[in-house]
Amino acid sequence: MPCERKPMRYGHSEGQTDVCFDDTGNFIVTCGSDGDVRIWESLDDDDPKSISVGEKAYSCALKNGKLVTAAANNTVQMHTFPEGEPDGILTRFTTNATHVAYNSSGSRVAAGSSDFMVKVVEVSDSSQQKTLRGHNAPVLSVTFDPKDEFLASASCDGSVVVWKIEEQTQVISWPLLQKSNDVTNSKSLCRLAWQPRVAKLLAVPVETTVQLYQRDSWALVSTLSDDLGTQPINVVAWSPCGKFLATGSIGGLLTVWDVEGKLCVDRQKHEKGYTVCGLAWHPSGTQIAYTDTEGCLGLLDGLSSSSSSSTMAIKSTKPAPESYDDLFDDNDDDRPMDEGVSESGSPAKNLVALDDEDDDDLVPATGRARNRSAFLDDENSLDPGSLKLGLDKLGNYEDDAGSAIVLPAASAAPLHPVYEGPMPTPHQKAFQPGSTPAHLMHRFMMWNSVGIVRGYNDERDNAVDVEFHDTAIHHAMHLTNSLGHTLADLSHEAVLLACPSTDELASKLQCLHFSSWDTNKEWMVDLPKGEDVRAVCLGQGWAAAATSALMLRLFSIGGVQRELFSLPGPVVCMAGYGEQLLIVYHRGTGFDGDQALGVQLLLFGRNRQQVIQGEPLPISRRSHLSWLGFTAEGTPCFIDSEGVVRLLNRSLGNTWTPVCNTRDHCKGKSDHYWVVGVHENPQQLRCIPCKGSRYPPTLPRPAVAVLPFKLPLCQTTTEKGQMEEQYWRSVLLQNHFGFLSSSGYEIDEEAQSRAQKEQQELLMKMFALSCKLEREFRCVELAELMTQNVVTLAIRYASRSRRMALAQRLSELALEKANQLQGPEEEEEPLQYTRRNTGSQRQTQDEEVHEEEEEGQDEQMDEGDAAENRRQRLNPFAKGSPASPDKPSPKPVNKEGRVNPFKVSGGTGRSSAGGQPRATNVLDSMTSSSRKPTVLLGSSVSAGKLSKTPVLKPLAPRPKSKTQSTLLNMSASKAANKKPAEEREPAVDRLKPTEALPPASPADNVENTKPKTGFQLWLEENRKSILADNPDLEETDVIKEAMGRFRNLSAGDRLSWTERAKGDEGDLKKRKRAEESQGDDNGQNHSDENSAKKKKPLDTSAKLSAFAFSKN
Amino acid sequence: MDPSEVEFLAEKEVVKIIPNFSLDKIYLIGGDLGPFNPGMPVEVPVWLALNLKQRQKCRIVQPEWMDVDKLEEIRDLERKEETFTPVPSPYYMELTKLLLNHASDNIPKADEIRTLVKDIWDTRIAKLRLSADSFISQQEAHAKLDNLTLMEINTTRSFLLNSLNCMYKLRSNLQPGSSRGKSQDY
Repeated sequence: MPCERKPMRYGHSEGQTDVCFDDTGNFIVTCGSDGDVRIWESLDDDDPKSISVGEKAYSCALKNGKLVTAAANNTVQMHTFPEGEPDGILTRFTTNATHVAYNSSGSRVAAGSSDFMVKVVEVSDSSQQKTLRGHNAPVLSVTFDPKDEFLASASCDGSVVVWKIEEQTQVISWPLLQKSNDVTNSKSLCRLAWQPRVAKLLAVPVETTVQLYQRDSWALVSTLSDDLGTQPINVVAWSPCGKFLATGSIGGLLTVWDVEGKLCVDRQKHEKGYTVCGLAWHPSGTQIAYTDTEGCLGLLDGLSSSSSSSTMAIKSTKPAPESYDDLFDDNDDDRPMDEGVSESGSPAKNLVALDDEDDDDLVPATGRARNRSAFLDDENSLDPGSLKLGLDKLGNYEDDAGSAIVLPAASAAPLHPVYEGPMPTPHQKAFQPGSTPAHLMHRFMMWNSVGIVRGYNDERDNAVDVEFHDTAIHHAMHLTNSLGHTLADLSHEAVLLACPSTDELASKLQCLHFSSWDTNKEWMVDLPKGEDVRAVCLGQGWAAAATSALMLRLFSIGGVQRELFSLPGPVVCMAGYGEQLLIVYHRGTGFDGDQALGVQLLLFGRNRQQVIQGEPLPISRRSHLSWLGFTAEGTPCFIDSEGVVRLLNRSLGNTWTPVCNTRDHCKGKSDHYWVVGVHENPQQLRCIPCKGSRYPPTLPRPAVAVLPFKLPLCQTTTEKGQMEEQYWRSVLLQNHFGFLSSSGYEIDEEAQSRAQKEQQELLMKMFALSCKLEREFRCVELAELMTQNVVTLAIRYASRSRRMALAQRLSELALEKANQLQGPEEEEEPLQYTRRNTGSQRQTQDEEVHEEEEEGQDEQMDEGDAAENRRQRLNPFAKGSPASPDKPSPKPVNKEGRVNPFKVSGGTGRSSAGGQPRATNVLDSMTSSSRKPTVLLGSSVSAGKLSKTPVLKPLAPRPKSKTQSTLLNMSASKAANKKPAEEREPAVDRLKPTEALPPASPADNVENTKPKTGFQLWLEENRKSILADNPDLEETDVIKEAMGRFRNLSAGDRLSWTERAKGDEGDLKKRKRAEESQGDDNGQNHSDENSAKKKKPLDTSAKLSAFAFSKN
Repeated sequence: MDPSEVEFLAEKEVVKIIPNFSLDKIYLIGGDLGPFNPGMPVEVPVWLALNLKQRQKCRIVQPEWMDVDKLEEIRDLERKEETFTPVPSPYYMELTKLLLNHASDNIPKADEIRTLVKDIWDTRIAKLRLSADSFISQQEAHAKLDNLTLMEINTTRSFLLNSLNCMYKLRSNLQPGSSRGKSQDY
């Protein structure tokens, strides 16, 4: 490298520093937080002259023998140079100035301050001030446009603003930077720099890149970045010729760019890696002085100057690819360049030579690079054939500087292409979920639901502590860790430890099988040479180890080697639960911070299978996996470094649903939650809050906290959003019941029914809310999710709130549901029998049954063609069953009833599109008979116990009449427009019972008989007399008439009727109980269902009044 | 009322424990407790916590205020103020004693905490004595003392009341007595 890094020397005390050269380049001037300005004759100057300017000096600038400093006493002072005599105060701020800068002629000084202001002061007359207001945070830096027209400033509010100095107005503002509240807290000092001479470009350090903005158009024309610069850039400085740009970063990386070619021509690392905070070019352009936050001064010497020949520039750029550019073959790059340099004096010729060489062996690389070199815009893109043209264009662009400057850049460009595309992300290392990093001396090797394994590795001791949450499992253990185990897992049966291989020893797997009933509680396995354990996990009766040879080795818990198989990629982590094994591995290389992970889920049960076959694991962008495991109920779950918890949704094709974001619960930005367990029932995320870190310390013993789940649904602040979130969360977290029962575990049926009840209640609430908001379509959609019983409630709610159209649609829906419900039931039965018979196949069939059930659920949700299929399937049953001997059908009711369901279901079968007109037809034909059921009340009730097959739908009439009359009650007592409504009402009622009842468990009867009113009783008795009085009355008119008469009764009479109604109800209840006991005989597997249903409707109907939506 | 009774009352305070056994909810007259899941913090009354601790069935999580930094703050404030400052818990002394005696292994820096609480206690008791002294010396009829805990009142009650009674007797004897004394002199 032609540029030589001189050793650093101590200049100031620790803190922010600044550096500049004087006009002649004979002196280096530095200022620092000790409040001194030092004037160095050279870097070797052992006795620099010091001028004290204040308590602290933040920034200095020097021109025309006048030194300007920003000091801590809130002033911008001037000193003569080199004498150092105070020369007055230029301006004052209300707080300290942060940066000062001269314009190119030295006639003005700009100063930015922590009080959000920028001032421009004439050096000759400090009363001539211009104040630029508009920043909303302390100003970081200021720079003058060399043509004195504009001024650019950067501020902690994240903006970079260009001001028109004369008008004191903002020309443009870019929100480029990270916001901070003070200069000291700002990530970067963001020293802006305007290209000298041509004044064409403004360089803005943004994070790790430098963005170049074009004057006047203020468009971003280019970004300088390279992959080595991982730290934010602090300062930028243009070379005096305006061709090169030097940058200094937080990490102490100094880079010199050829702006034209966007090439990094030089890189130097600060010898101690301190933050560079001051940077200045020697006026000749051959040296760069820099200072760091430790107060040291350094110098880069021997840089090629801009005025030197273009070959110099090429030479200076040569080493760059050797040391840094690993994207291209260095040797190939070098050879043509050397030749080109040696044989050519003229740049143009040089280029041609290069071109020839390139065509031979590196066409693609150079071609690409050359295109990139034309960074200005598309127009300027160069293709090898028209290089001259391209040069012309560049020349045009570079109007002031002239093409002499452009040439070297263009020629250098093809040699050092900088890859700017997406960068590959380093693979995340393998880890044990629930462990803290291995480099810690005291760490958790495992914290899971069983217990805690702690590892100590300090001078005194190398040990492993095993402690169980539940001491009933095993007492705590203390093991010496002579093998140096780093991986651990813990289950109810065993502790599994693993260590990596050393020079002498192979990688080992050690298992403490404490639940073994023999005396040997421990076994150990050596892995083959060269194979290292990367991840281990324990399941029920097995242990698994993933190794560096992309192998997964299974062991029985007693130490028998079992299957082994190859993994598709390097393992990240594993988790075991029961018979499930979950593996996450690298599927490939991710880019731009993303990880490309794949996931496998295997079942080791009697039916071994791979449930998830290497699908991509959906983790958040730019994050890595931080926890993987199963919920306490056995659902796979993982958490990424962004804190998002995702749960496997088995009912939606094994997709992953985010259920919680732990970062939402963090108070501070650097706080994290370290997850140790996930429970679905109750819904808990058990984790340890870590203040200011990702991992908890082992001491003091951290306490577990519990976070709730929350699906990231939209608008969860609204009541609707809240209920939706609750509903879907409940649905999601209930999935495990299905899985557990399908894999032969006992399930907490009470909890399941509780969850279902909760869901239905939520649906009902949402239904009520939608009703309130007049969203009837939405109501129907919600009703589709409901179980059939709840739909009945919904119908009632709808009709009570006089939404007849809605009620009608709902009743159609109820019918469909009823049919659906029967379909699976019928199909299920034979399956169950076979299951009992063939024990060996039990597992698979369980599975099937389960699938069937799930299918049923799904269909309830999406309710489409599938529903119709089912109905068709059902039909044969319906036809066949009347013949079945054990279900004698009561005559009159049955006859009528049998007709009805067929009519209706036939209608629905015919059309889901034209449901509306059909429904009205049906009801037309039915209204005339609507009276009959009322009369036949008793018989239909007694028929109730015979419920259950489609044939028995007829029992519907009884409840129907009742609901009808309640409906009429209401409508008669209100509303002038009741007429049209009433016409529909009977229809609705008609449809509803017939549809709703088919599953016709006694439960329905209970529900339906309950709200019998005194008026009804009275009506029953007096109907005849009314009819006798007015023989020509229609049904509705009869009721109206009856209402009138009933009202005319004395209060006492009415009371007595109501009393009777209550008594009657009690009676009915008794009868119901009798029926129930009979109903139980119907089949044991239905009895459960019945009882569940019974409970539900009772509760829900009782709560119906509560649904009367409270919000306005 | 003697100190053991106050301590008995303090045992009704709630602390967090981390059980190492699992048990369903238990239904007691005072309310339901649990369920107890191994490793999961749960709130129980002190008496149960201590009982479980003695049987090595749980770890006790120290109350939030039982922290060296917080207690130092309270102690400094207590020393600075003339009057009684609010205490972190109405049973701070009793709880400290109970928890530190039975579960000092679960509480980091137990000794420091003990010292700090003792400091606070001493300061407060000194204040109490001082105020009692000035109360008596100024012959006030009543005084208002805020933020006193039951235990603190209890330490001074019997003595103070008795001595007030005595003094009253003495004083009331003094005035008529002076005449009586004279009469005796006669």
